[in-house]
Amino acid sequence: MLADLVQNTLDGLAAGASYALLAVGFTLVFGVLRRVNLSYGPAIMLGCYAATFVHLHYGAGLLALAAICVLASVAAGAYVERLCFAPHGKGSAIAAMVASFALWMQLEEVAMLALPRHLYPFPPLYEGGPLAFAGFTVRVEALVMLAAAVTVCALLWGILYRTRFGVAARAMIDSPVAAELAGINVPRISMGVFALASAIGGLAGFLISASVEQVTPMLGMWSTLKGLLAMMLGGLGSLPGAVIGALVLGLVEAHSQWFLGPQLRDFIAFLLLFILLAVGPRWIRSRHG
Amino acid sequence: MALLELKGVSRHFGGVRAVDGLDLAVEPGQVFGLIGPNGSGKSTTVNLVAGLFPLTAGAIAFEGRSLEALPTHLRLQAGIARTFQNIRLFGQLSVWQNLWVAQNSPEDRARHGFLARWLGGQSGARDEILPLLEFSGLAHKRDELASNLSFGEQRRLELARAMATRPKLLLLDEPAAGMNSEEVGQLRERILSLRGRGVTILLVEHVMELVMGVTDRIAVLNFGQKIAEGTPAEIQADPAVRKAYLGGEAA
Repeated sequence: MLADLVQNTLDGLAAGASYALLAVGFTLVFGVLRRVNLSYGPAIMLGCYAATFVHLHYGAGLLALAAICVLASVAAGAYVERLCFAPHGKGSAIAAMVASFALWMQLEEVAMLALPRHLYPFPPLYEGGPLAFAGFTVRVEALVMLAAAVTVCALLWGILYRTRFGVAARAMIDSPVAAELAGINVPRISMGVFALASAIGGLAGFLISASVEQVTPMLGMWSTLKGLLAMMLGGLGSLPGAVIGALVLGLVEAHSQWFLGPQLRDFIAFLLLFILLAVGPRWIRSRHG
Repeated sequence: MALLELKGVSRHFGGVRAVDGLDLAVEPGQVFGLIGPNGSGKSTTVNLVAGLFPLTAGAIAFEGRSLEALPTHLRLQAGIARTFQNIRLFGQLSVWQNLWVAQNSPEDRARHGFLARWLGGQSGARDEILPLLEFSGLAHKRDELASNLSFGEQRRLELARAMATRPKLLLLDEPAAGMNSEEVGQLRERILSLRGRGVTILLVEHVMELVMGVTDRIAVLNFGQKIAEGTPAEIQADPAVRKAYLGGEAA
């Protein structure tokens, strides 16, 4: 029993690390631009499909595939930004969100036209088996994911708090109008934030695909869902909150999968969100309100 | 040539003529006062010059060039900065960062490369920001979050932030609102000091003690139209102005 709890916790933290990367990218766009980008996951999926395509047709090393994932995700993200978010100014967050749903469908179609089978193999991140110590196992992939999540969060903190780009982005959170009148090129900073979020998402997509060693079109919806869920669990729009929400989500899923079965896993995660929204601490609900 | 010239400027919101056929000419180096009862179109005029929304009719020229096609953040590069009637600072940034992030003048752009400017640290900009902190009496609060400042300090920071953009024309929208008379006196000194440095100022204000003390020329608006223009002494003696103000108060 106790051994199960410990093993589940390890597995949960491993999953949580991948959710954290997804959630941080998602939250960056929501926190700075106040926009819900439903196409966040599908852009990542397209990045992973681009890498798979290159891998299948030309063959490429893991580092090259990682670079392709990131670059193609940024390109797809920029496309989404130009079509959904740049044309919709202040006050039309809903229109932008609906538009991003339409692009979701479009990105999925593009991916499935390029690679029509439902499932394609993705080269593994690590060939060897899991590490074992004291009767517990940890996958090397999970450790890489955790290290990536920590590194990305530290870099992001540095960018947001120490560079002029990051400070300008945070100024836009406080007052977009004042930012514009202080000479900040709001559209350009928005685009930069979007690209940064997409790059983080692309990295997450690469690590996830290389861990599960496959890609399917479902990766898009899955990424958006996990990112959104983790962000909401952590209180909307807070980056540390998103990381905590992601780890909580990973832990809740791992434990409920083990004790209640895989069918109830997602149900429990949504139930937790519902309870938090209904009766949770005031600071979480006020952020949602 | 006037630094700022408004010709037949109108802005209608639905059926409301907030500004209606306004002509103004602000000469370089002037402190130009814009006064009038509440709702007379003063703030709308400032917003039109700053580019917050488009004109319904007319034209605005800055240094002889039309501002029409210029988006807000580029008007700032052209040399127009403003403060707000209700303070809009970057509350989650420190005092120092509020000034740092506003350094977007062409000179500031030229000084640092693109990458150094946006991804470099804060050390490069120190020399230009310290005098601004001292000018606004906030040097001892440089690392404080803007949201933690007192009301008076926030107003001073907002003025300093506008100055950080190195404006030729500074639009001040009711800078003395909510200030006590000592603070108004300090504000007056600051405005005169800016004027001494050659900054042209368009001042929208209700506090007559300030307007009459610092302006070179005043225009009076009522219902979106200019009813008088002249020196402070001329305006104080103008019967139409007295009527607009007294009538406004009696109503």
